[in-house]
Amino acid sequence: MSDQGSSQITEFIQGEKEPQSSSVVIALGVVASLSFLLLYGILYPGREMPVVSELLPMFEGVFDSGIWFFLLGAMLGIFAIIGTMLTEATSE
Amino acid sequence: MSEIIPTLAIFWLLMVVSFILMKRGLSIFNDVAKGMVMFMLEKALGPAIDFVQGKPGSASRTWIMHGMIWAMLASILTFAGLWLSHDPTALHSLGAWGYSPDSHELMYAGRFAALFGAVGMMVIGAGLHVVPTLSGTNLASESNATLVSGLWTLSVLILVIGAHSKEILGVDIIVLGTALQILAMMAIILNQLLTISNATRSIAIPGWLIIFGLIGNPLAVVSVFLSGAYGTGVGQWLVYHMIGGTFFFCGIAGVSLYASSMGSGNPLWSRTLVGFTLFGALISINPMGSTDPSMAVDMLGLEASEISSSTQDHISGSFLMALAMIPVIAYSSNLLVTLRGKDAFVENADSPGIAEMNMGAWMLIPIAIGSLFVQTDALGGAGELSGISQTLDLLSLWAVLMPLSLGTALYVFPQVSGRKVLSVSRSRAAFWLMSGGAVAGLTFTIMADLNDMALIESLAENPSSITEELRILGSVTFYGTVLGSIFHCTNLISGQFRGEKLSEEVESSTSLSPHAYELTSSTSVRRILASGATLDTEVIPVSQSEEAGSATEL
Repeated sequence: MSDQGSSQITEFIQGEKEPQSSSVVIALGVVASLSFLLLYGILYPGREMPVVSELLPMFEGVFDSGIWFFLLGAMLGIFAIIGTMLTEATSE
Repeated sequence: MSEIIPTLAIFWLLMVVSFILMKRGLSIFNDVAKGMVMFMLEKALGPAIDFVQGKPGSASRTWIMHGMIWAMLASILTFAGLWLSHDPTALHSLGAWGYSPDSHELMYAGRFAALFGAVGMMVIGAGLHVVPTLSGTNLASESNATLVSGLWTLSVLILVIGAHSKEILGVDIIVLGTALQILAMMAIILNQLLTISNATRSIAIPGWLIIFGLIGNPLAVVSVFLSGAYGTGVGQWLVYHMIGGTFFFCGIAGVSLYASSMGSGNPLWSRTLVGFTLFGALISINPMGSTDPSMAVDMLGLEASEISSSTQDHISGSFLMALAMIPVIAYSSNLLVTLRGKDAFVENADSPGIAEMNMGAWMLIPIAIGSLFVQTDALGGAGELSGISQTLDLLSLWAVLMPLSLGTALYVFPQVSGRKVLSVSRSRAAFWLMSGGAVAGLTFTIMADLNDMALIESLAENPSSITEELRILGSVTFYGTVLGSIFHCTNLISGQFRGEKLSEEVESSTSLSPHAYELTSSTSVRRILASGATLDTEVIPVSQSEEAGSATEL
């Protein structure tokens, strides 16, 4: 047998542009996880969420103002800028 | 005793002497002085100068990039300050880390970051490109200008820290930050003066606006110290507004007039109006800014005094502030007409900075008139309008100075880096977020201020709930500037790596745009544009015959 004509490629390649349907997959994943969280509340009413219910009390008295919602957005923005710098500088 | 006229007389004299020295040089000491300055800018710094690259445009690029980052930090600090004005305990949990800021401290830090970090760095950065271009030469020392951008950023960082805690370990932090900033400013001034001394052609007036803006800053401080007015409230108020009228107004006017012409492709509308802008800015007192000169007082390490002006000072100060409307209107109208040129439209998708400059020029006149009333009231000692002074100061900062400097930076940055921003649409979204957030958010806050003033006047005992609601609305709307500045930063950074190259754009635009369009029958403008025609394409009517055709002879 010969390898000629095989469809296999020897190098790893990836598309340069992001397919539009990939964002649909991510959205589907987020919706699914939220649905399962709701389902947990329906199936086990009155029970605390595992892990999450243990973590949340740690932040009591810390994020008790609406400003933190906005500041978290700003922090995300700062990390987005740092991330952009790192990924752009290291890509290709 | 009069403080304003003697101080301004010294300032005008120093400006005239500086201009004469710049034009005539230092006679036989010229070459020695140039060599010495060049040595101080490069060799004297030792190995430090080797840490930065000296490629053409690198200094301008570094300053603008630092300015963009500061714009984002300034917007976050100002947003938090606005929020804490209606919810003072919102950040109390940070007290566990030893940080318990109040609204005033955050606003003060935001003003330092916005004025000297964002606006100052973007104007100096753009000036490092504009002055050499207008002089027909290269910047004297790219390496030094790049290096001192770090020093300037460090000074702004110290000022922001000093806004929270003025004294740390017995050291006056704000004075330390100012000292570092003066050092960086002197290096930039010497660099620019050396650049114009090598000019191969006469410099257009926007170039002089930038130069006078730079030297006006230290000369304003020297004038106040020479006149002895630094210890009085009027003298401190005056130096604050002199720095605003020279470094900020002249600097922004110079770089934005250049960018408006280059970005729109239209020639600068009026040379006379630029002359009026320069001359008017130097002889008048710019009314924009706060009525409280504490920023200048803290930076110069002075003892704060109450503004108690004499009748002569009140009259001369009010007159000179009213006179400032001439350069303001001249500059604004010149910029707006230059952006439009012969067309009715301003939109130019290829120049993301155009919209910002357009907005800043529109907002300048009403805010300058508003500031004139507030300042005249404060100088007279009445203080009836002092309640809106701080928000009006923020409005002039975020709706005038920031858009004008940001718009210029967005035009200049691709010129010095060789690549455009990554996405024009993201740039447009950032513009709407920043301008909408600043104008709407601060307008709501001014409405709350006016409500408070009315309640104080009517001696109401209980605060109105609508004031708090307006302050909440104002701070939440102002968050748009945070988002807009983040969008601008990511767009600019990504554009550096993946943005369209400027040289590619020129080639493609010429091949896609037909020079002539033959019009054979009636058609719509949409169809002509859809065929690839631009506004410069010539439409040529081609006559047709209604006679029946015949077979083509071979």
